Amino acid sequence: MTELSEHARRNRAHWTELATQYAERAERVWSSEPKWGCWGKPERELGLLGDVAGKDVLDLGCGTGYWSARLARLGARPVGLDVTPAQLETARRMQREFELEFPLIEASAEDVPLPDASFDLVLSEYGASLWCDPYLWVPEAARLLRPGGELVFLVNGIISMLCVPDAPEPAGPELLRPYFGLRRVEWSFEDTVEFYLGHGDWIRLLRANGFEVLDLVELQAPKGAPDPPGLDVPTEWARRWPAEEIWKARKQS
Amino acid sequence: MSSSELPDYVLKNRENWTRSNAEYTDASARRAWAQEEITWGMFRAPESELQLLGDVGGKDVVELGCGTAYFSAWLARRGARPVGVDVTPAQLKTARRMQREFGPEFPLVEASAEDVPLPDASFDLVHSEYGASIWCDPERWLGEAARLLRPRGELIFLRTSTLLILCAPETGQAGTELVREYAALARIDWTDDEGTEFHPPHGDLIRLLHGNGFELEDLIELRAPATAETHPYYDHVTADWARRWPSEEIWKAHKR
Repeated sequence: MTELSEHARRNRAHWTELATQYAERAERVWSSEPKWGCWGKPERELGLLGDVAGKDVLDLGCGTGYWSARLARLGARPVGLDVTPAQLETARRMQREFELEFPLIEASAEDVPLPDASFDLVLSEYGASLWCDPYLWVPEAARLLRPGGELVFLVNGIISMLCVPDAPEPAGPELLRPYFGLRRVEWSFEDTVEFYLGHGDWIRLLRANGFEVLDLVELQAPKGAPDPPGLDVPTEWARRWPAEEIWKARKQS
Repeated sequence: MSSSELPDYVLKNRENWTRSNAEYTDASARRAWAQEEITWGMFRAPESELQLLGDVGGKDVVELGCGTAYFSAWLARRGARPVGVDVTPAQLKTARRMQREFGPEFPLVEASAEDVPLPDASFDLVHSEYGASIWCDPERWLGEAARLLRPRGELIFLRTSTLLILCAPETGQAGTELVREYAALARIDWTDDEGTEFHPPHGDLIRLLHGNGFELEDLIELRAPATAETHPYYDHVTADWARRWPSEEIWKAHKR
């Protein structure tokens, strides 16, 4: 494995700090049915993944491995990959607690130590999709998928990223930063690097890597839902505009 | 389809375009027809840079909501065989006058893009710039576009960007605040009698394209160039705004 990128090292340090907090909620998210995003939209309503039974699935930026666990219970053969050892430690503890084993690999999604064409589904929820450079991780996803394999990932809605202030304060209706030039975002109050692409850029990047774009699901927060903890987009905002979006693409045969 | 069968919003939009033709498009048609270069949108992004159309020589092209048909004229001069479709007689009248003045001549059909009196699978390219792409019901006109295209035929259309519509107040220029909810974009009935527009947001549009048998190829979110100035007639957005956020977007897809 080549050396980690500068942003991967900074993000790993950030996630090492957050790991204790995420360990506390790991049991709850491991127990739940498959659902998407901060407001927990059930996969059974969206039907984005189809029948995963018997499928080789790679979870890029798996964190505590909850998505992999949910898919394993549905008969998939998941592999969880994450760059932060502390998160994988929680994942291993949960595996013992739930008696549900699947491979966990410590690596960046920008450089995955797994063979070409070995997966049917690559998934990422606030993992590689947010913390890795898309111009590095999307080609890796394309390499790892078999022909006809699917890529499904969740990111922050692009409009919400225009409205989130550079301070730990909630988003409002005001556009605070330009759309053009958005790609790598760093915050003044936190030592992390996040990546956001406009929709046109996502479509071109996916197509350039041999994907057909199948869907873009722009999520709306449910009525009356409480504000998600620690999130900079309040439910009221996410009722009016998409705070989260899920892309679905298929590797062309 | 006779006028009496057109939906209310199409009749209303035709009324508005009759007025716009008298106010602006009739007078501006000469400039557009005289232009050699193909450009896209209010800030005239050159096709030579975007390269969305490829070689149109010998291609059958239908322009849905052609207005004064300047885009069809540009394509005809490059060897395409265009047909212009528009629902507003005043716009087509201007188009015919321009054909006589500048050439070349090509068929112009008075019809709504929601119900086009042309045969199935008779075109290689369907184009729309601020035509059917915003003034017609996407469920209907995209179905018509799919029907009119030959297999592998291309669909290219320009429309207002989703972000600009979210920032567009009922009257006046777009500001830097989201003033409209996402769920309200599908159909907008302007309260100042400016007609009805359809702006399905990106996810919905991707599903509409798929549902009508298209494979998505590209989405170009246009940025106004540094030297661009606010359009003298279409001044709902300033050039400065359009340098920071996309005010227009071009979708490209092909029929599977």
